[in-house]
Amino acid sequence: MEIELTAEQRAFRESCGKLAANLAARWHRGRGPHDIDPPTPGDDSWSRVVDSGWLAIGLREENGGAGASVVDLTVLAERLGYHAVPAPVLGAVIAAEQLQTWNAPPGLLQDLAEGGLRLAPALDAGLRTLAGAAENSLAWDAAGAEAAVIPATGVAHALGDALPFADPTRAVRPLGAPSGLPAITLTPPGEQALARLGAFTLSLLTADLLGTMQAALDAAIDHARTREQFGAPIGSFQAVQQLLADGHVLVEATRSASYHAAWAVDALPGAEALRAARVAKAFASRSAVEVCESAVQVFGGIGMTWEAPAHIWLRRAHTGRTVFGDEHHHQGVIADDDPHRS
Amino acid sequence: MNFADDPAEAGFRAGLRAWLRDHLDEHREGTGYESAESVERTLRWHRALAEAGYVGLSLPAAYGGHGLPDVYEGILNEELATAGAPASPPIGHIAHAVADFASEELKARVLPGLLGCAEVWCQGFSEPGAGSDLAGLTTTATADGDRFVVNGQKIWTSGAMWSDRCLLLARTEPGLARHRGLSMLVVDMRSAGVDCREIVLASGSREFAEVFFDDVSVPAANLVGERGQGWRIAMHMLAYERGPADMGWVGRLGRVLAEAREDVRTGRVAADAGLRLRLAEAAVDVEVLRWHVARSLAGRGGGSDGAAGSVDKLLTTRVEQNLYRVVSDLAGPSFVLGAPGPFADYLWSRAQSIYGGTQQIQRQIVAQRVLGLPRA
Repeated sequence: MEIELTAEQRAFRESCGKLAANLAARWHRGRGPHDIDPPTPGDDSWSRVVDSGWLAIGLREENGGAGASVVDLTVLAERLGYHAVPAPVLGAVIAAEQLQTWNAPPGLLQDLAEGGLRLAPALDAGLRTLAGAAENSLAWDAAGAEAAVIPATGVAHALGDALPFADPTRAVRPLGAPSGLPAITLTPPGEQALARLGAFTLSLLTADLLGTMQAALDAAIDHARTREQFGAPIGSFQAVQQLLADGHVLVEATRSASYHAAWAVDALPGAEALRAARVAKAFASRSAVEVCESAVQVFGGIGMTWEAPAHIWLRRAHTGRTVFGDEHHHQGVIADDDPHRS
Repeated sequence: MNFADDPAEAGFRAGLRAWLRDHLDEHREGTGYESAESVERTLRWHRALAEAGYVGLSLPAAYGGHGLPDVYEGILNEELATAGAPASPPIGHIAHAVADFASEELKARVLPGLLGCAEVWCQGFSEPGAGSDLAGLTTTATADGDRFVVNGQKIWTSGAMWSDRCLLLARTEPGLARHRGLSMLVVDMRSAGVDCREIVLASGSREFAEVFFDDVSVPAANLVGERGQGWRIAMHMLAYERGPADMGWVGRLGRVLAEAREDVRTGRVAADAGLRLRLAEAAVDVEVLRWHVARSLAGRGGGSDGAAGSVDKLLTTRVEQNLYRVVSDLAGPSFVLGAPGPFADYLWSRAQSIYGGTQQIQRQIVAQRVLGLPRA
């Protein structure tokens, strides 16, 4: 057993963090819901994402990628969550992985890797799983995307305007008529490959939630150190300390679950990896909301306003929790499993 | 990143499984701390494990240990639980404290007996007036030539009734306040002036005792480390006790969970959809705990970090108490009516947030020492 990031992965984490912070800083959070930027990245931001190789690294080499591990990709996703990056990196990475799993032609995957073609993943109307048909389905993390592909048909669908969504850092858009893109020739993957795709997706969402809750906790700790009441920093009061300590426990447990889920996608058969990822996503979903709620609580009154960032993380926690299935969904699947397989 | 066994770990696991196949049956039933017979059977199990080479895995080979990384303790506990075996002896925290601080002479004299399970040890920390405020303890060990003379009282001492030795935290430096005045001693429990009185736990377990020391003579050579170093050693020890390796928690919870799921699957226990979902939630918790403990053990690399141990204990407690709530609810009326097993197990789960430092104390440690929040 060897359960930490390698020196290379830690260096990658740092470089991802730098760019993620920079991308987040270019995004205007506004003074209220009426006045924030849409999550669509500007050309300059998007070209920095493309130049960083984030869209390419996870794809196999023959498809224009670097064949990075899922552990590497979750390192990236955690930093994107930490800085609440609005650019639709996860959406693009998941859409590309889905098409790679469906054996899309290398030329198309290369276009995705180079950011020339911008796709978003299509989910069912409940945002739980990748969509099997275009009707009522929704593209997630779709800011600036040209289309979403339904693999069963190979048809790329144009996307409508963003729907109202609790999280201003990500766009959800309905699938419309076939876009101008030519139909894509795809071949359905086997059961294990589909399970692996599910595990891949849940692992990335788990890592995004991990970053989100870590950021909220860090900000709450900072606030508790500096905000004074009764002549002392509120972080010196036991009631506040205990709330933050519980938050730290949940963050570290989620980190362990996230590492395990990501490792499992790289190392275990698809069905086992999917189970590990369900466990991680279920735990991360409820923990992220709990930690972000605690952070809002520690911020007090200002946490309830657009003057503080706390609500942004709480929003991202709730939407990250919902997308690809919340804890109730995954625990429901686990409850129906034969317990001998646990 | 690798959560799987490396070849050496896999080989160890396979050997352990083979040993359990051959030897577990004679030890499977009747262990515990409810009666003199069950205690004797428990100690016999510990000696059998030690003879087979499964005690003191992460302790130095020179003193009867096996010099293996901490993850092996995790593998041991996991396999014991999976096989339905009684737990391993809870001595890792004591053994590490002695191994990391005692003189060569003392280590050579006492560790082989501890790790061979030829001698049973207890830990003398808490006192009637010093629970969460451990540094306020008042038991004294007064230096007197080549010996210390111990006077005072310890309480909640697990296993004291049948222990041969006690690792005792006592005040040796009367002029120094609180933490600074403490030292750690190895006390022979058969010494004149040591008196134990049993304390029965709410769950019915009879492993607790209070221990009285009345002019007990302890050789100066039994001092662990240096005078005044007691607090540091105690914190080192608590880090192990709170951490995941030594107590076999995860495996035990995994077994409780597996039994509950089996009861539901076979219909022996009727569970509606709500209860089944709560059981699945508990299953998620236990699995996350398992990977968290694996990460802690793999990352510990021989040392121990007190505050990280507190994180692990907080998580374990949360997971355990939630699991037992679900198990209680699954039991329905038989939780309170009929044989006391499920209720006793539930009561014992409530102790998890008290012993080894209460949940509230652990949170303070995490807040102040990990998160760097200011002290009041």
